[in-house]
Amino acid sequence: MILVNIISFFLLYYLKKFFGGESFSPELKRYFKWGMIASGALFVTGVSELPPKLLFDFLSLLLVGGIIFLIINSPELEKQKNLAVTPLPIVVVYVVRFLLETFLPQYFDKFENYLTAAGFFAIIWAVTMWLNHRKEMKSLQIERLISKEKERQLFLAQERKQELERLVQERTSEILSQKEELQEALNHLKSTQDQLVQQEKLASLGQLTAGIAHEIKNPLNFINNFSELSEDFLVEIESELKKDPEKLDMENMLDLLEDVKSNMKKIRHHGTRADKIVKSMLLHSRGEKGEYKETDLNSLIGEYSNLAFHGMRANPNPINVEIVLNLDQKIPPINLNAEDFSRVILNLTKNAFDAMRDKINAVSSEYKAKLEFRTKDLKDKVLLEIEDNGPGVPEEIRDKLLMPFFTTKKGTDGTGLGLSITHDIVKSHGGTLEIESKVGEFTRFKILLPKA
Amino acid sequence: MKIMIVDDEQDVEILFVQKFRKEIKSKLLEVEFAFSGEEALRKLGEAGSPDVVYVFSDINMPGMSGLELLENIKARYPKIEVSMISAYGDKENYNKAIKSGAKGFFTKPVDFDSLKHEIAELLTKKLN
Repeated sequence: MILVNIISFFLLYYLKKFFGGESFSPELKRYFKWGMIASGALFVTGVSELPPKLLFDFLSLLLVGGIIFLIINSPELEKQKNLAVTPLPIVVVYVVRFLLETFLPQYFDKFENYLTAAGFFAIIWAVTMWLNHRKEMKSLQIERLISKEKERQLFLAQERKQELERLVQERTSEILSQKEELQEALNHLKSTQDQLVQQEKLASLGQLTAGIAHEIKNPLNFINNFSELSEDFLVEIESELKKDPEKLDMENMLDLLEDVKSNMKKIRHHGTRADKIVKSMLLHSRGEKGEYKETDLNSLIGEYSNLAFHGMRANPNPINVEIVLNLDQKIPPINLNAEDFSRVILNLTKNAFDAMRDKINAVSSEYKAKLEFRTKDLKDKVLLEIEDNGPGVPEEIRDKLLMPFFTTKKGTDGTGLGLSITHDIVKSHGGTLEIESKVGEFTRFKILLPKA
Repeated sequence: MKIMIVDDEQDVEILFVQKFRKEIKSKLLEVEFAFSGEEALRKLGEAGSPDVVYVFSDINMPGMSGLELLENIKARYPKIEVSMISAYGDKENYNKAIKSGAKGFFTKPVDFDSLKHEIAELLTKKLN
């Protein structure tokens, strides 16, 4: 009967250890705990042969029967039902033996050999079943391991996916903020560009202002000189009149009066001249877009080349330049935005002055700077050429000249916008701008404007 | 005594004539005008041995500049005094003018008193 108790203990221990004792319900855990204690206690008392044999045998069979019943009826041990069957033959043999011994002891001796043999076979059966069960359990365990591994892999994949998603989100927000920064930089650049264009406009106005100042100063000097002279003459006439009427020099007085009269005309003439110049300055500095109007290109060239020249002369580092106007008087009025187009002349003239200044500084004093303006009436177009005999433009940078911000001037001398804006203005007039040059000899800007 | 004024602004002639009215009237001074460097040289050449003693020339003129005229006069008629009149008192022109032998350098607007003084000096020199 001790074997039965070992079986009881073994069943409980084996199930608890290898089939997830932790996952059992508290109730089942309690059954297992007390079952193991009971089997242990029975084993100890069985070995000590203390209790009456009949009671011990009965309790042992009751316990093992209960355990087998528990295994079969617990849903948590569904898969271990086979295990319950394993010791069943042994238990049956012991039950029969117990019943025979208790109730029919007279037949016990007669059947003992059979029962021993049956017990032996039952043990073999049990071991076989148990091995079988173990094998099953092992493959089950492998399956479980595989599915566990799969689960782990799935979990890892999920984790990795989340990590990737997090990274993607991080990168996305990074890119978004970079995009915002770039957009901001772009906006900044755009406003800077606007400012530069405005500055270029102001610079050409500044260049013009010096020329205008000079151009106004000339007539003003005349006005001052002539009015001063007239005053002197009037004083002289006055003192003459105070003399003895007998000694009056009538001829002299009439001469003086004639001069005063002519001086007044001169003053008016130079006043009008100054007024005209101020008006043309206002035209240039006006903030709003100028209008397209039928314009005399030749007089525009004359006026602005002159202003540019005097502007250059009045600014630092003036140079002596011969300005030649070779203008075709047959060209008809051209539809021009005079305010814009005057900047074309100013810019190209200033460029030529700067280039020729470089040449003056580089070569001997034999060099005589010369800037020529030519206009020519072509069939449906008007040609305007501005040619200087400066250092010329090397072929490799000729294409770049019209690009914004390209400048050969060092430091803060040039914005690099003058020619680019000039080109834009010519284009907006439906015209074309070409550059011809020979290094060391000349640079020629050719502008073709449509007549209509 | 004869002086010559060279300036592309025509009204300068009237201005000088009026300014030196008395001197001209009393024949103390004779004033000749040229409206370009080329004209000035031509006029100086016509007189054979030029009786012009002093030339006042503008620098910025179309065609021949005042500085070129100065060089030409100094080369051909070294005895004639030449002074420059310029709207711009820039150093480059001043240095160039003095180096080429200019006697004086006046900036516009011309201070007629100093000009008169210059001419009076000439006149007294001549009278002595």
